[in-house]
Amino acid sequence: MYANFDLLVPDELDQALTMIGGAKTAEDCAPLGGGTNLVVDMRASGKAPAALVSVARLPGLRGITIAEGTVTLGAATTVSDLLRDPRMLEVGAAMVDGSRVFAGQMVRNTATVAGNICCGSPAADLVPPLLALGASVTLRSAGGERTVPLDEYFTGYKTSVRRPDELLTSISWPVPAENSASRFYKLGRRKGDAITMVGVSVLVGMKDGVCSEVRIALGAVGPCVFRAKTAETVLKGKAPSPELVEQAARKAMEEAAPIDDVRATGAYRKQQVQVLVRRLLNQTIESLS
Amino acid sequence: MNKMDSAVPGEQNVSYRQIGKPRTRIDSPGKVFGKTPYAGDYVMPNMLHAKVLRSKLPSARMTRLDVSKARDLPGVACVLTYKDLKIGTVATDIPAQTGFRRRDTDQQILVDEIVRYQGEPIALVAAESVEIAEHALSLIEVELEPVPGVYDVFEAQKPDAPKVFGDDNIVASYKVRKGDVEAGFAAAETIVENTFRTQYIEHAFLEPEVGLGWEDEQGVINIRTSTQAVETFRYIADAIGIPHSKVRIRGALVGGGFGGKCDVTVELYIALLTLKTGRPVRLGYTREDSFYGHGKRHPFIISHKTGFAKDGRITASKIDITSESGPYAFMSPYVLMYATEAGPGPYLVDNVHIDSRSVATNNMYTSAFRGFGATQACIAYEQQMDEAAKVLGMDPIELRRINLLKTGDAIATGFEVQSAVWTEECMDRAWAALGEKPKDEGAIRYGHGIAAYQQGYGRMIWLHDTAEGWVGVEMDGTVVVRSGMTDIGAGQTSSLAQIAGELLGVDMMDITVYNSDSSTTPLAGTSSATRGLYMSGNAVRNAATAVRNRLAARAAQHFGVADSDIDFADSRVFVASDREKSLPFKELIATCASEGIHRSELAIFRAPFGDWIDPETGQGQVHPDYTYGAHAVQVAVDTETGEVTILKSVGAHDVGQCVNIAAVEGQIEGGVAQGHGYALSEELIYKDGCLVTPSLSEYLCPTSMDSPRIECIILESRSGLGPFGAKGIGEPGHTPAASAVANAVADAIGARVHDFPLTPEKIARAVSATRDNG
Amino acid sequence: MTNVKTRQLSVNGVKRTVDAPANETLLETLRRIGAVEVKCGCEKGDCGACAVLLDGEAVDSCLTLTGTVGERAITTVKGLGGAENPHPLQTAFADLGAAQCGYCTPGMIIATQSLLTNDTDTPDEADIRLALSGNLCRCTGYTKIYDAVLDGARAMREAEAAK
Repeated sequence: MYANFDLLVPDELDQALTMIGGAKTAEDCAPLGGGTNLVVDMRASGKAPAALVSVARLPGLRGITIAEGTVTLGAATTVSDLLRDPRMLEVGAAMVDGSRVFAGQMVRNTATVAGNICCGSPAADLVPPLLALGASVTLRSAGGERTVPLDEYFTGYKTSVRRPDELLTSISWPVPAENSASRFYKLGRRKGDAITMVGVSVLVGMKDGVCSEVRIALGAVGPCVFRAKTAETVLKGKAPSPELVEQAARKAMEEAAPIDDVRATGAYRKQQVQVLVRRLLNQTIESLS
Repeated sequence: MNKMDSAVPGEQNVSYRQIGKPRTRIDSPGKVFGKTPYAGDYVMPNMLHAKVLRSKLPSARMTRLDVSKARDLPGVACVLTYKDLKIGTVATDIPAQTGFRRRDTDQQILVDEIVRYQGEPIALVAAESVEIAEHALSLIEVELEPVPGVYDVFEAQKPDAPKVFGDDNIVASYKVRKGDVEAGFAAAETIVENTFRTQYIEHAFLEPEVGLGWEDEQGVINIRTSTQAVETFRYIADAIGIPHSKVRIRGALVGGGFGGKCDVTVELYIALLTLKTGRPVRLGYTREDSFYGHGKRHPFIISHKTGFAKDGRITASKIDITSESGPYAFMSPYVLMYATEAGPGPYLVDNVHIDSRSVATNNMYTSAFRGFGATQACIAYEQQMDEAAKVLGMDPIELRRINLLKTGDAIATGFEVQSAVWTEECMDRAWAALGEKPKDEGAIRYGHGIAAYQQGYGRMIWLHDTAEGWVGVEMDGTVVVRSGMTDIGAGQTSSLAQIAGELLGVDMMDITVYNSDSSTTPLAGTSSATRGLYMSGNAVRNAATAVRNRLAARAAQHFGVADSDIDFADSRVFVASDREKSLPFKELIATCASEGIHRSELAIFRAPFGDWIDPETGQGQVHPDYTYGAHAVQVAVDTETGEVTILKSVGAHDVGQCVNIAAVEGQIEGGVAQGHGYALSEELIYKDGCLVTPSLSEYLCPTSMDSPRIECIILESRSGLGPFGAKGIGEPGHTPAASAVANAVADAIGARVHDFPLTPEKIARAVSATRDNG
Repeated sequence: MTNVKTRQLSVNGVKRTVDAPANETLLETLRRIGAVEVKCGCEKGDCGACAVLLDGEAVDSCLTLTGTVGERAITTVKGLGGAENPHPLQTAFADLGAAQCGYCTPGMIIATQSLLTNDTDTPDEADIRLALSGNLCRCTGYTKIYDAVLDGARAMREAEAAK
């Protein structure tokens, strides 16, 4: 049974910002995207914010634009939208990997990119690719707008820098440089519609024989999705070699702090971070040489 | 040798017009158009909505129960606790045709003092809406004082263990003593010992339990519900204290059962609330209710010690079997019997020694699940065969070939199988269908696995199983079948239409089947135990044959030929030797009607009856007959992550005779997918009796992404006891699939994971252990 | 019950006026007004039995709040066709044995229709397996469903070409 709440369905973004503007806490008023997480959570907990503001169908919030070297996703862009846009393979292959293993079709048709970020789950499947791609998010309130690197967005388990009066309105990342590649791999207890045991995304850019860009993001092995920055530095600016890749994979493993749960032990997750980081680095590097 | 010639002589070299064809089932159109009403789709005016309050603790003493606030809530019509029950218990025994019941296995309906499992019902609420009923649940004041429970079958057998069932926590135990097992081991060249464990499994039928009850003008409590067993009306009547004739269970097409809708669940609560309020009551379980509210598949721990002669022949088999029953008996004794009977598998073993027991704990109670214990037995004996082959340095196929039972050989209980035993043919064909094993590449290794099996069909013969069926012809030449059999999605009613249609020369789509009503359709027993087609198919065949014979006699008189020269097809009656001579079927019917010739028949089919096996030796007959076959699987295993991809999955089975080949394939394919999940991903995890996986995102059934195309190889020996020589296939298709997956994984990684399910983590660990040791 | 609002819904082309509270899901609303061909299997988006089309795109109606549906056209399996005008997917599912217990079938057909109209009308088996991974089936082992989707898609293309 759901708790009672007010459901507000604004017609325009400004209206939505006004509605959410009075919120002091997430319990007062919260944005409702596709609802594929929030509706389930409300049923499970029997708790709900006093009001929900439906933002999934606001005009101008859905769509993918690629301009001036930047890829921008409207907050209400769905996971299926990503899969249906052939340009996405060029500008964010890891996002395609993440979208393909994201829940099932109906959820992909409904769930929004912003919702996947805002739910704050450490197992969110689009967040590691976005971190690997170097994405930023735009947060907007009635008072103004700010852009936050996704890397600085999460502050802990299901917590973030987003204020209750702010909406996440868009996500953007620079079009990856020539000769760069990104991948995401999700390890689950089954292949379809699974909750992630370990999710790893990497982006590698090569220039003049060295790794000019390296980003490694890890999901489901900490309180939130995060970048394995020590591991990144192992390769960054260096010519890749099997030894360096292995070293980076080991560093990433050391940075992971997973818990035991019904899906896997922390020890297995840690070990798999090493396996998957090594694999994805090798795959991306091989695809570039 | 032509395998068809090796069948027991019977109906051979016959051709059928409808039987054996891949026909669209009569229930299919309604399902694809969204027109089929399921039990949860019925509503009635003035209907109340019910909810069940469950214990959050698995082992506790109830020190306080106060429902006054819930009763006072506006919109609440009724709150029932144990104090309101005239009779506090309900049968958990198999709802057999004889009415026999083991009274010592009854279960409390609502907790009166002691809670024995998490989710045990404490109170029932009926209210004007679901919301009010849920609100009322939250107003019930319950105090539960935890008491020490026992959550492990070995702990439960210790003398000082908390007592959950009887005075020793043993729900049932059996022995098999055949030949001289010590002499067999003495004669063995090699002895192989292994222990295998299986997990708690959920049926996860897509339709959660649901029903609607109402009292009719005769004071009969009617319950429209999703069930595999309308015969539970007797147990419900006993439990609510009214005559059997005053409870009527009306089924609907069932949204999946797999054994999980054989026991009494919602129907009893609905009956109690309907009786109390005099109003219609609907109770629909949520998915979470369903996880907490019906019995699961038994976890088993099975140890094999097997002796082999130099040539690979089994000289002795010693097997120890422990199953977990949870706190109440339900089907546990029978499931244990199946596992015991199937212990050594489809192999000829002269010296057998089996000890088995089902042990009570405070984990969730367990009951029927497709395969009914024979599946768990197969998981043990088929992994044991592969492990033995490894030790003996033999090919696993050849080791099996040497030991497979043949027609006339005695199984573990000494019973000599009379029907065709085509395990070898099935094994060879399934294995061949896998083709070449791909070459390993990097961390990916490929494996092939096989599993053969024996699965009884029909009830254990001491249950004296019967089924009735009625067939009649309408004035327009269409046909009506009446059968109490439930239709749980396997095409049960459609097969009855096909059988009656074959015999009466009427297309199955012109046949209406009324089924699953405990008061107006002749009782036929549950759709379980792979007995539906066998029992009800034979009953309907008997009835249709009687009608056909009477109609043929009248037609023979009309044409001036012998009765045996009359044939029925395409809604016409023919002279077989001169097909120019024919009549529309409905003209014959009109003649018969005007002359008072009986155009319908109520028939009964009786399975073989017998006594219990000898309790000291386990020798005797358990089942009427057995289905045999084999399953083969090709997997790719990622040795670093432990992920398994099933690439090929092939079931080969002797089904005796297909009635509807598409339905046969459907049963095999569906059973196989459940086997894939059993081996790899499905597991109900209980932590100190509390379920930690109560949703379909935590309990992982295979999705399409996990499921390759499944191949079926169907053989027809026409040697079974079912109609037209059919054997049962509802459970058998499932039985060997999980074992084959396990054997394929072990083949790929060169190591064995003895505990199901084979999760990526366990596989990765097994691979590392091999590396560490090697 | 609080926050009840009168809402207009378009269900299989028919305008329906319903009073739905803010916390009611589309699954609950549809079943309440008699569209019981939309099945309830888990109410958590784990099984797909409740799938309906919203403007041609499949969604889990158990995860959709009725108040967010707006003007969008709701299509259930009954809206695709019936005995008089069967949809090619319905024919294929029936004839190829893709419906066993049938409880997942309405959602399965809806998800397939969404795949064929929004993603590809010439799916291969990998496309099908990806598109149906949110629709659990416990009876068929999926094999006959793959066959039915391939066959139904072919029939749909042929029907389209014949136009």
